Amino acid sequence: MHKKTLGSSILSAIIYVIMILWALCVLYPLVWSVFGSLKDNQQFLLKMPWSLPEWPLLWENFANVWTNYNVGTYFMNSLFVTIVSTVLALLLSSTTAYVIARFRFKGSQALYNLYLASMMIPLILGLIPLFFLLTDLHLSNTLFGLILVYTAMNVSFGVFVLVGFFKTLPKELDESASIDGSSDYGVFFRIMLPLARPGLISVGIMNVLNIWNEYVMGTVLVNDPSKYTLPIGIAVMQAEMQYRTEWGPLFAGLLLSIIPVLVVYFIFQRQITSGMVAGAVK
Amino acid sequence: MNWKTKRKLFIFVFTVPTLLFFCLFMIYPIIQGLYVSFFDWSGGSETKDFIGFDNYKEMLNDPIIGHAIYNDYFLVFWKVIGIVGLGTFFAVAVTRLRLKGAGFFRQVFFIPNILSVVVIGVLWNYIYNPSIGFLNSFLSLFTENKVEISYLGDEAYAMWSLLPPAIWAGVGFVMVLLVASILNIPAELYEAANLDGASQWQQFTRITMPLTWEQIKVSILWVVMTTLNGSFVIVWIMTEGGPDNATQVMGSYLYQMGFRQFHMGYASAIGALILILSLITTLALQRIMRRDTHEMS
Repeated sequence: MHKKTLGSSILSAIIYVIMILWALCVLYPLVWSVFGSLKDNQQFLLKMPWSLPEWPLLWENFANVWTNYNVGTYFMNSLFVTIVSTVLALLLSSTTAYVIARFRFKGSQALYNLYLASMMIPLILGLIPLFFLLTDLHLSNTLFGLILVYTAMNVSFGVFVLVGFFKTLPKELDESASIDGSSDYGVFFRIMLPLARPGLISVGIMNVLNIWNEYVMGTVLVNDPSKYTLPIGIAVMQAEMQYRTEWGPLFAGLLLSIIPVLVVYFIFQRQITSGMVAGAVK
Repeated sequence: MNWKTKRKLFIFVFTVPTLLFFCLFMIYPIIQGLYVSFFDWSGGSETKDFIGFDNYKEMLNDPIIGHAIYNDYFLVFWKVIGIVGLGTFFAVAVTRLRLKGAGFFRQVFFIPNILSVVVIGVLWNYIYNPSIGFLNSFLSLFTENKVEISYLGDEAYAMWSLLPPAIWAGVGFVMVLLVASILNIPAELYEAANLDGASQWQQFTRITMPLTWEQIKVSILWVVMTTLNGSFVIVWIMTEGGPDNATQVMGSYLYQMGFRQFHMGYASAIGALILILSLITTLALQRIMRRDTHEMS
C-alpha cells in the first residue's frame, strides 16, 4: 500500500520492541510463579529471582499446599460456590430478562432501569449492612450465604445482557408456539432458553470469572477457614508469610487458583472479551 | 383461569422472585448503608444513636479522608493516562501498523484482566519484595551495592508503586475494545489518506481518534468508575492503606473504620462519599467529553 521507508521500518521496529517488552511484563509474573512453585526457601533466598528451579523439582509443594495449607478445601469451596451461584444467577436473570424483552406490562421499563442503575453503584456501600443482614439470617460464615450474595451481585449484569439478547430473537417464534398450545413456561424453557444459549454462555462465563475471583464480600462475610474460597485463602496465606515463610507453597496455591481461569479464558476468549465490553458499555 | 390471568401470573412468577431476592441482597444493603451513615454505631446491638450529619461533619475534619480522596484521584488520573494511553497505542499498533503476531499480543495482553485482584496483588508483592523480589535484584545488576528499596513500605514510593499493577491489569481490556472499533473503520478512509500523503500520526489524529472517540470515552469512564468503586481492593491486598495511611483510599479507609475499628456509622458515611464522588465524577466527565465530540465533528 504505502512505501516502506527507512524511517517507518525503524519506527515499527521500536514499536515491536515495546510490544514484546509489554508481553514479557504480562507473562513474566506468571512464569515466575511457576518457577517459584517448584522451589524451596533456600533457592528463594540465595538465587536470583529469575533463576530456574533446581532439580529435583519440588512438585510436593502442590501436594503440601493442597492438604497442609487447606488449599484443597478452598478450591472445592470456590468450585461449589461458583457453580451454584452462576446457575442461580442465570436462572433469576434470564427469566426476568425474557419477560422484560418480550412482554408489555406496567413497570417493565422501571424494572430494567433498576437493574441497570444498580450496576453503577459502588457495592462497598452495601458491605456493612450485608454483613449484619447475613448475621441476622444466621448465614454469615456459610457457603450458602456467600452463594446468595454472589447470585444477587451477578443478576443485573445478566438481565442487562440477556434483555438485549432476547430482543434479537424473532417475534414469530413465541407466537407460533403459543398457537400450538404451549404455555408461556413451555415456550420459555423449551424454545427460548435453547435459542438464547450463546447469550447464556457469555453471561455464565462472566459470572464464573467474577465469582471465582471475588474477594471483598468473601473476606467480610466468611471468617471460618473451613469456608474460605481461594481468593480469601490466598490473601490470608500471603498475610501469614510474615510469620512463617514458605514461598514455594504460596506460589503453588496461587497457581492452583490461576490455572482454571486461564483454561476458561483460552476456551471462551471471544465470549469473555465481548462480555467485558458489554459490561463497560452499559 | 382465563388467558389474561395466566399471562399476568406468568409475568409475576418470572419477575417478582428475582426482584425480591435482588432487593433483599442488593438494594436493601445500599439503602441501609446510607441510613446507617446518620448513626453513631459500633456494630453491637446496645447503642445505635442517631446523630444526623455528624459523621459527615467529622469527615471534614479528618485529614485521612482528604488524603484518601487525593489518593483515589491520583490513581484515577494516572490510570486513565496509563491504561487508555497504552491500550490505544497497542490497539493502533496491532491494527493500523500491521505488526505480525497481532492475535498473540491481543491474547496475552488481555490475561491480567481475568485474574483476581488477589492474584495480581500477590504477584506484584513479590516483584516489589525488598529482599527476594525481582525489581531490586534486577536493579542490583547495575549497581555496586545491593538495592534494597522497600517500595510498598516507604511513604515516598508506596502510592507510585500501586500504579504499575493497576495499569498492568487494565491495558488489555482497553486494547480489545479499541481494536474492535478500529477494525470497523472503513479501509477506504485510510487508503485515501495514504494517497494524500498523510503520515501515520496524521491518520491517527484525523481518522482513528475521532472515529473511535466513543470507545475511548467508554474506556476512560470504565477506568474512572472501576477505580473509584474498586481501587481499594488492590490497596488492601498490597499495603492495607499503609505505611502510616500513606496509601489509604476511600474504600480501604471504609474497610478499616468498619471492620478494624468498628465505627460502622462513620464507615458508612465514607461509603456514601464514595457513591457521591463516583456519580459526580462520571456525570461531569460525560458532560466534558460530550462537548469534545461536538468540537471534533
